Amino acid sequence: MFTQFFGNYLLNRGLVSPEKLSDALGRLSETKLRLGVLAINAGIMTAAQVDKVHAEQQRVDKRIGELMVDMGYATNEQIESLLKTQPSAHLLLGQTLVNDGVMTNSQFESALNSYKTEMGISDEELGASDLGDFRPLIDKFYKFDNADNSSYLNGYIVLLFKNLVRFIGADFAPLNAEELYDKISKSCLGQEISGGIKALTLIDADDDTLIEFASRFSGEHLTENDDYTRDCINEFLNLHNGLFAVNLSNETGLEINLSTQIVYDDINLATIKNSHVIPVCFSFGTINFIISI
Amino acid sequence: MSENTKPLKILICDDSALVRKQLSKILSEIGDFEIFVAANGDAAVRKYAEVLPDLSFMDIVMPEKSGIDALKDIMSLNPAAKVVMASSVGTQGNLKTAIECGAFDFIQKPVEKSAVEKIIKKIM
Repeated sequence: MFTQFFGNYLLNRGLVSPEKLSDALGRLSETKLRLGVLAINAGIMTAAQVDKVHAEQQRVDKRIGELMVDMGYATNEQIESLLKTQPSAHLLLGQTLVNDGVMTNSQFESALNSYKTEMGISDEELGASDLGDFRPLIDKFYKFDNADNSSYLNGYIVLLFKNLVRFIGADFAPLNAEELYDKISKSCLGQEISGGIKALTLIDADDDTLIEFASRFSGEHLTENDDYTRDCINEFLNLHNGLFAVNLSNETGLEINLSTQIVYDDINLATIKNSHVIPVCFSFGTINFIISI
Repeated sequence: MSENTKPLKILICDDSALVRKQLSKILSEIGDFEIFVAANGDAAVRKYAEVLPDLSFMDIVMPEKSGIDALKDIMSLNPAAKVVMASSVGTQGNLKTAIECGAFDFIQKPVEKSAVEKIIKKIM
């Protein structure tokens, strides 16, 4: 999940355009992690040193690890340890952007270090986020004003991102939460939550994005935003809200009920009270998750 | 199942066409079953009375009549009915209510093939 938030940071800093980021996120699995990026991430080498090694490799027929040792930047033990490193997705994102010429090694190094510092993310938390416990990351990213509901909102969003990774794919970057904007949604799918908590949850996106989202969720190739596509989107929302209800019931004993599918045609999103928009930028388009609580 | 045995009749009740399709596919991979479907609680009770299935999978959140109300109606029609609640809302409260109303079992969505196989083994 660190990858997704790191992607958001790069966007906000203007280091990458939404199009380039979406494109890179969609190709992470094709990217081979290079030793230089691993060395930068581990703090063994600076980006400038990595660039020098790459320049030297153009002249000398040696493996990159050997050159790093020969040039005195790393020890054999450090190289062996780096080669055993599991490729974290945020490093794959950095590598993809460097390969695409969107960023230099130096910009990647600087962005990674300032992100960790600005967000106050410890290496421990970073490790935890790689393993799936990214609640601290979400707590730092989203700061909701309404203290009464913030724990529910955070819990809802942590689970949302887990479910997006589980059922749709990891090729997304969350954008900053927004207040509801003055926008007429042609067709918004929703579900009401009642009982221990009262809330309204909605999904809004353009047709092409909804079709691709539904295609991924169903594992089918869908081509139109028809009843079946809407059914798939609704089932995702129902599944996510249901799992949220289970977590809530297990953690707090609070019981909630879910309504059946609601379709809002031509609804002005600004009229929904106490709402937060969580825009999520996938490689195929941006989808807005709206929660009014 | 031997060749002479009639296939089990299984009723799938879910308002989601995607879930009906996915569950039907899982069942067809497990064995030879006669599958019936219903898209809401009301239709589920009517279909149950019509075909008297050996097993039913029942969603909870459905229009017209909820899965729990449909379960109650089916159990009053046939106290020996085997109805498995298959829902995303597997909260303590729903589990308790489903058991009290006579549900045979409960499957948390998303429905996994292994969970369906376990149910099928239990009734065969």
